[in-house]
Amino acid sequence: MNPNDSDASRFTSAATDRRGERDLDDLLVHVARGDQDAFEALYDRMVGPVYGVIRRVLRDPSQSEEVAQEVLLEVWRTAARFDPAMGGAATWVTTIAHRRAIDRIRSTTAAAEREHRTVDVSPPHDEVAEAVEASLDRERVRRCLDGLTDVQRESITLAYYGGNSYRQVAELLHVTLGAIKTRIRDGLIRMRDCLGVS
Amino acid sequence: MRLFRQDLHLLAGAYALDAIEPGSELTRFTRHLNRCQSCASEVRGFREVGTAMAFAATAEAPAEMRDRVLTAVARTRQLPPEIRTHARPRQARARTPWLPWLSGAVATAAIAVAVFFGFAQAHTQQQLNQAQAQNHTLAQQQARVEAELTQAKEHDQALAQILGAPQVQLLSHSTTKGGVAVVVVDAATRKLVVATSGLPPLPAGKVYQLWLIGPVKIVSAGLLPTAQAGVTSPVVATGLVKGDKLGLTVEPAPGSKQPTTTPILALPIPV
Repeated sequence: MNPNDSDASRFTSAATDRRGERDLDDLLVHVARGDQDAFEALYDRMVGPVYGVIRRVLRDPSQSEEVAQEVLLEVWRTAARFDPAMGGAATWVTTIAHRRAIDRIRSTTAAAEREHRTVDVSPPHDEVAEAVEASLDRERVRRCLDGLTDVQRESITLAYYGGNSYRQVAELLHVTLGAIKTRIRDGLIRMRDCLGVS
Repeated sequence: MRLFRQDLHLLAGAYALDAIEPGSELTRFTRHLNRCQSCASEVRGFREVGTAMAFAATAEAPAEMRDRVLTAVARTRQLPPEIRTHARPRQARARTPWLPWLSGAVATAAIAVAVFFGFAQAHTQQQLNQAQAQNHTLAQQQARVEAELTQAKEHDQALAQILGAPQVQLLSHSTTKGGVAVVVVDAATRKLVVATSGLPPLPAGKVYQLWLIGPVKIVSAGLLPTAQAGVTSPVVATGLVKGDKLGLTVEPAPGSKQPTTTPILALPIPV
């Protein structure tokens, strides 16, 4: 019996909840062994958040597509370096995605395009897939963001979704560097507790 | 000192959101993460917040992207796992900074380099296929091409080893004649990988030659292969010493013992 067959039904679900997390870890372990079917399943599970977060940071659809492709290929190439002890597969993949988006805006070629970007704190409704899981995540995140102070919320969204460095955030919000570091960290502690992550 | 360290600890939030600009501050914090268990676990928790935010931003990707990625995957070699020795204390693993920033930049370069290399190998494979297809192929010719392919595979392994090394650094610099050299340095094994893009094409009988220019002597580090679509596939150079610069000159084919022209690139290599 091919072990992949029995796993397939679990892997095709687009669930992003905590129950789905372990399956994703298993998938990534199979991907590390060169299993292309497992990669396909992983792709289907992760392409939404990967493309979504990159798009959110970069705005430009064609650049976002390019970066998302690089990220997904990188996941394939480096899957053997994934260490479940360091965090879940979803976190590993989205961390790479976010970082590559940031790399892109910090590269000089994107500097000019960046001038035209506006920071939009609300999710772009028209572009968001209407998957139930995604809207649940959105609701959850929104609720937790609402529980922050204004400066905490703005710092975190300007940094994560806006792709700004904390120095740039400080500049944008007219707050000292020390204060911004603290606001971001305090805000993330609250978010972490609110979202119920470790 | 205490104040300094506390101040550094405050950066865990900004770090987890990729909001520290590359530079000494990031380097300092990454180093700090190696020693600070509580920072590392805090960063891990914050990253999960980031994950939730990424899922909240879920968007529909262009449908045609799927095929493109799956096709690329079928053609892309995976990096081998890092071998952990049993002697290594279990604690050390938890203290390793998770995805240090630099490895990110390197990974991007690694993809570019892997793609370059993919071209070179595909070319050799094609030669092999052609050789096999010919009815009256000389066994000798086939053997030669097969040897070339084996060499390419060994080269690929050497490359993967360097690109997958834990502490590699990525440098890139333009040459004085235009074009860019991308260099991945593995200080631990004193090796580097060089690929270039957009160098001006050379007239027949001229080649690009790499040099390790040290304080006392200059050593050839090999020739750049002929560019394909403006890109040269990666060259592995070994035997770096402290103070070496990576030089690039135009030389008469098949290369010189010592540089005979002014380098169009002289890039200090941190070892």
